[in-house]
Amino acid sequence: MTVGVGKKRVAICAVAQLKNDPDLWHTRFQGMLLEILEDLQRQTGFRYGEGGVEQIVSVSDDFLDARTISNNGVQDVLGGQYLAEEKMAQEGLNAIGYANAVILSGHKDVVLIMGHCKESQGESRNLITNCGFDPFYGRAVGLDYLNAAGLQARAYMAKSGLTDDHLARIVARSRQWAAKNPYANARETLPPGKVKASPMLCDPIRQLHAYPVSDGAVGLLLASEERAREYTDRPVWITGFANAMDAFFFGDRDLTSNFALKKAAAKACERAGIRDLKGAADVVEVMDCYAYQQPMWMEGLGFCGDGEGARFIDEGGPGKYRVNLSGGALAGNPMIIAGLYRAVEAALQLKGEAGDHQVPDARCAVAHSTNGPAGQFHSVLILEA
Amino acid sequence: MSRYYGTTVDDIFDTMPERFQPQEAKDVDVVVGYECGGEGGGKWRLKVREGAMAVEKVEGDLGPCTATVFAADAETFIGVTLNKIAALDALTSGKLRITGDASLLMNLLPRIFKPYRVPGPAPVTARDIVAGMADRFRPDKAAGVSLKFAYDLTGEGGGRFTVAIADGRCRVTEGLEKDAAVKMTMEASTFVGLMTGTMDATAAFTSGKVRIDGDMGAAAATGRYFDRYVPPDAPRVEELLSLKKVTSIDQRFATGPVMGKWFAGLRERKLLANVCPVCRRTMIHPREVCASCHVRAGEYVELGPEGYVTNYDLVYYASPDPLTGAVRDTPYACAWIMLDGASPEEAFAFEIKKEDLPRLKIGSRVRPVWAEKTVGSFRDLLYFEIID
Repeated sequence: MTVGVGKKRVAICAVAQLKNDPDLWHTRFQGMLLEILEDLQRQTGFRYGEGGVEQIVSVSDDFLDARTISNNGVQDVLGGQYLAEEKMAQEGLNAIGYANAVILSGHKDVVLIMGHCKESQGESRNLITNCGFDPFYGRAVGLDYLNAAGLQARAYMAKSGLTDDHLARIVARSRQWAAKNPYANARETLPPGKVKASPMLCDPIRQLHAYPVSDGAVGLLLASEERAREYTDRPVWITGFANAMDAFFFGDRDLTSNFALKKAAAKACERAGIRDLKGAADVVEVMDCYAYQQPMWMEGLGFCGDGEGARFIDEGGPGKYRVNLSGGALAGNPMIIAGLYRAVEAALQLKGEAGDHQVPDARCAVAHSTNGPAGQFHSVLILEA
Repeated sequence: MSRYYGTTVDDIFDTMPERFQPQEAKDVDVVVGYECGGEGGGKWRLKVREGAMAVEKVEGDLGPCTATVFAADAETFIGVTLNKIAALDALTSGKLRITGDASLLMNLLPRIFKPYRVPGPAPVTARDIVAGMADRFRPDKAAGVSLKFAYDLTGEGGGRFTVAIADGRCRVTEGLEKDAAVKMTMEASTFVGLMTGTMDATAAFTSGKVRIDGDMGAAAATGRYFDRYVPPDAPRVEELLSLKKVTSIDQRFATGPVMGKWFAGLRERKLLANVCPVCRRTMIHPREVCASCHVRAGEYVELGPEGYVTNYDLVYYASPDPLTGAVRDTPYACAWIMLDGASPEEAFAFEIKKEDLPRLKIGSRVRPVWAEKTVGSFRDLLYFEIID
C-alpha cells in the first residue's frame, strides 16, 4: 500500500496533552483522560455518534494498568459505550497508524485517539518490563528494558565514539528545552556536570541518562480530508507512517544496527514521497528514553552516517535539525504513550501552537517511537502542514 | 516386523467374533474379502449372515465378495483400523484400495463390530492405587505431620480405606475410621482418573464428583506427602518441566476525587451515588462521567440503605479476596441489589449474610450491615442481611 501526495489524506485536527507528572496519585486514569477529552471537545466541538466520532482507538498497557483488557476500565470516559472502540497495545504512535488506515479505508471519517499511562502505579517499571521477557530465561537472567538499554548503550558507544560527556550534554540540552514546555515532567535545568555526577543505574547508563518515572495522558482527533475543516482551520496531514520489528531474541540482534528503525523510516518516507528526510524535516521528535538513544535514533532516521552519533552531537546536530524541542522523552513521558506525545508535539509545531519552543514556519515534522527491549520495534510518522 | 501400533493383523481378525454385535446384523448378508500385503499380512474372508458371522484365513483365491479391501502392508491395515492413519490418506496414496461396495465398509461394519482395541494389561483399580500408598509415602515431606484421612470409593475396584500419617510413617487400613480429619467420597473411577492425571482435581471437586466431609485444608494437603502415582505400564518418557512462579508487582491504585468520595461515604456508613445531570440516573459506585450522556456527574445522593435483590448467584469455587488475599468462605452470594432511591437498572453488587443464604430469593428485602469501626474501605460494608 502506498499513500502519497495527491491521494486521500488524513488530518490531525486537534491534540491535547496532560502535563507529565512523576506521580498523579490524586486521580484515576478516568480523571486524567476526562481532562484531555474535554480539552479536545473545547477545541473542536466534536460529538459522538453518527456524523461525529464513531470510532475510538485507545492506548494503554495491561501490565502497566495492572488489569487485563485495560481499555475496559476507561470506556465510560472515552465515550466508547455503544461505539466502536479498539485498543492499541503497542506504543501509542501506532494508534495514529491504525486510525489513519481506518480513515483511508473509508471505514470511518472521524476517529478519536486517547492514550493513558501511570508509571507511578506499580512499584517498579523495571519489574513490569522484566515481564516483557519470557519467564524461563529472559526474566531469570534479569533482563528488563533498562538492562537491555544498558547493553545497547555500551555497544553503541563503542561503535560511535559516544562518551559519558556526550550523554551529559544531551541530557542538559533536553532539560533546557523542557523548561520551555509546560507539559514536560522534568523541567529543572541540569548542568552537564551534575548529570555526570549522578549514580550509575546500569553502567554505562546513569540515573540522569534515564527518563523519569512519568504519568500522563494524550488525545488526538483525526479526520478525513473531507471532514477535517469541520474541526480545525489548521489541519496537520499524515503523509507517511510505517513500523518495523526486529528479532525478539537478544542474541539474534545487532544492537547497534538500527535495523528496524531504518526499515520503518524508509517505508514512511516512501509513502510521504520524501527522498531526503534530513533535508525535508523542519522538526524531529524522537523517543529517547535514555540519552544514548537520541543520537542513535537520529542515525537510524538518516540524519547522520552509520556510527557517527558522537560527531552528530559534536557538530550540533540536535540544534541544527531541531530535535526534541519539547525536551523529548528524556524529560519524561510514560513509555507506552511516549511516541504519541512525540506526535502531539510535532503536530503542535506544524500548527504553530508550540508556544515558547515554536519553530518558525515548520512545514514537515517527524515523530518517532520505539517499544520492546533496546529498540526492538520502531515506528515513524511524517506529518506535513 | 509385523507388529505395528502394538498389535498384529492376525489379532484384529482373531478378535472379530468377540467384537461382533449380532443384534445389529439381523438382516445382513455380506461377504468381505481382505488382502493385506507384506510381512504379517495375508487373506481373510468375513461372512456375515442372519445375525451370525464367520471369519477365516484364506490361502488361495478369496472368491466372490460383496466388497474387498486391499492394504499394501500390515502397517497400513493396522494403522487405518486404529485410526492412527487416516483412511482417506491411505486411499489417496494408493496404500489402501477398495473394490465393490465401499459404503458397506464405512457404514455397516462399524455398526456390527465394536471397534478394535490394542490388547493391554488389566486396567489399574482404585484399590491397587490405595494399596500402594504406603510405598509412595515421603517421610521427609511429612515430618511432624499427624493426619488421618479416609476414602470412600464407590463402584467397581473401590472400597473404603483409612490412611494414617504419624511419626514419619504411613499406614493404610480397610474401613472408615471415625476419627479421620476428612473423608473424601467419590466413584472409584474418579479416584483412578485423579491419580493417573486424566482428571483435574479442581474440576472434579467443583463439578461435584468429589465430596469432601471434614477439613478441606487436610484434603488439599494429602497429595503433598506422597510421590505421584505412576501406573506400572506407563511408558518411560522424558519429563517435561514446567516453571511455577508467582508474578507479583505491588500496585498503589488511585481512587481519585470521585471514587474517593464514595469511600469517604462508606466511612460515614452512607451508600453514595452520583447523578447524571442529563438523564438523572444514579451511578453506584460513582463514576467520573455518565457513559451514556458523556457528561461529568457532580451531584451526589445517598441511596438505600435498604433495597431488594434483583439477581444473585452462589459461588462455590475457591476465590481469593483481592483486598486481603484470603480465600473466601464458600458458598457466598454475589447479589445485585436495587437500593431504595436508585434509578432503574442501577443495581449494586454485594454479599449476603451467610446465614441468610438458604432463604435468599429474587425480591428479598435487604439492609446493609456495617463494620463496628469504619475506615473508608470497601470492607466497611460487611454484607447485606434479609429483613423479615
